[in-house]
Amino acid sequence: MTGRGEVTTGPLPVGQFVTMVKRALTSEPLFQRQAIKGEVSQWKSYASGHTYFTLRDNDGQMSAVIWKGRCTIHPSIKEGTEVVVTANVDVYVKRGNIQLVVERIEPVNALGAMEEAKRLLVERLRNEGELDRPRTRPPAIPKHIAIVTGAGSAALADMQQLIENRWPGLRRTVIGVLVQGQRASEEIVRALALTRRLADPVVAAKRGEPPVDLVIVGRGGGSPEDLWAFNLEPVIRSIIASPVPVVSAVGHESDLLVSDLVADVRASTPSNAIERTVPVRAELEQWLDELDDRLAHATRRTFGDARQRLIGLHARLKVAPLAGINVERRSMLSLQSRLNRATESKLANERTRLASIEASLHTIHPKRVLERGYAMTQTKDGTVVTNTKMLELGQEFSLHFVDGSAEAAVTQIHTMEEEQ
Amino acid sequence: MTESKQTYNEAAQRLEAIVATLERGGMGLDETLKMYEEGAALLKTCQAELIAAEGRLNELRLDELEQELQTEAP
Repeated sequence: MTGRGEVTTGPLPVGQFVTMVKRALTSEPLFQRQAIKGEVSQWKSYASGHTYFTLRDNDGQMSAVIWKGRCTIHPSIKEGTEVVVTANVDVYVKRGNIQLVVERIEPVNALGAMEEAKRLLVERLRNEGELDRPRTRPPAIPKHIAIVTGAGSAALADMQQLIENRWPGLRRTVIGVLVQGQRASEEIVRALALTRRLADPVVAAKRGEPPVDLVIVGRGGGSPEDLWAFNLEPVIRSIIASPVPVVSAVGHESDLLVSDLVADVRASTPSNAIERTVPVRAELEQWLDELDDRLAHATRRTFGDARQRLIGLHARLKVAPLAGINVERRSMLSLQSRLNRATESKLANERTRLASIEASLHTIHPKRVLERGYAMTQTKDGTVVTNTKMLELGQEFSLHFVDGSAEAAVTQIHTMEEEQ
Repeated sequence: MTESKQTYNEAAQRLEAIVATLERGGMGLDETLKMYEEGAALLKTCQAELIAAEGRLNELRLDELEQELQTEAP
């Protein structure tokens, strides 16, 4: 078979060409499951069970076929009825006809009645204040998501895939329900009742899992009637009754349903619901790693600064007079002990660096000063003499040297002022 | 606000504030260390929250779960 992009030689047989056209048209997503509005003409049902008609409006028309048993045909549909069809474009190769293969057909007036019921429900909800009720924000990291959606649906597969991409192994309970047809709303309501039970801490504890803290309810795109369950009062009421935040995730971007109006979060599609509520775990981890680094770095820097101050003090002490030593030394010792305490638990490397400072501190012990030729003067009661005012003529005192002491008495006092 | 009641968001916000304060510097050693310890504890809380989100993947039909919950009921 000749496909697109293949090199061909010579003219194509027409059958082959039409097949190529068919392939091109049917692979275009825009032409699949498209809702189209128009008027029915040349309506013809055959004994085979297939129905053929033309869908037309003032600007154009197209052949359409409803294969046997493919969808329910409303009895009111006849020549001239305004309808909305959901259909796929196909090409009937034998005749080269483009046609719509209809999957769903609804008279517009039937839709009109449904729209009216929806409008009344919204009105009622508005009067009751339900549309303005405070919304609950979804948790930053959901610990247990309940997903209510079509069992085995494409929307569910998309959501599962997206969750696994963003947060592998995220805890979740999927409750498969019918999302269209007569029983859809009843099943959705029952499923939402189950999520309320799973959100109950007592029930959750019994099951050995955290309570459900987020509910996503929705389905993929479809015709307005397919989505209709999400416009029905029982479903709406049970969304409102949920103790945990509910995300409404129905259809495509353009579909606005009553469930979107009352839910805590309105997601445009099921995938969008996941994007809005499930964070990317790797990003959070990276962010926490960064904070970890910054925390350690900033703390280490503060301690480094303190060490620099100590080194500065050390330099000043080396040139400080004897009298200053005790004061400086006390403050240094206290700094040192605070530092020691502080670094005990967390900053072992700081401690080793401090130890080296401690070693150098040792060199400025008073004894080292005495070695350099200074002497310390003490009165009999042990007071260190720091100035001449502390002495009187004739008073006895002790002079302390590095290797011993000598007793002496004051014979004369000179003050600086006198000398000048 | 006890630590166990703290949500991830609150913990993360506090942690960011602590890191920013420490980065500005100018605090005493005692206070620095206290903040460091609080920050380290918050980091652990946040990391634990990430792990806590992992768990069982259940996929059931509505009636299966209804039955399961019924048999569990007191």
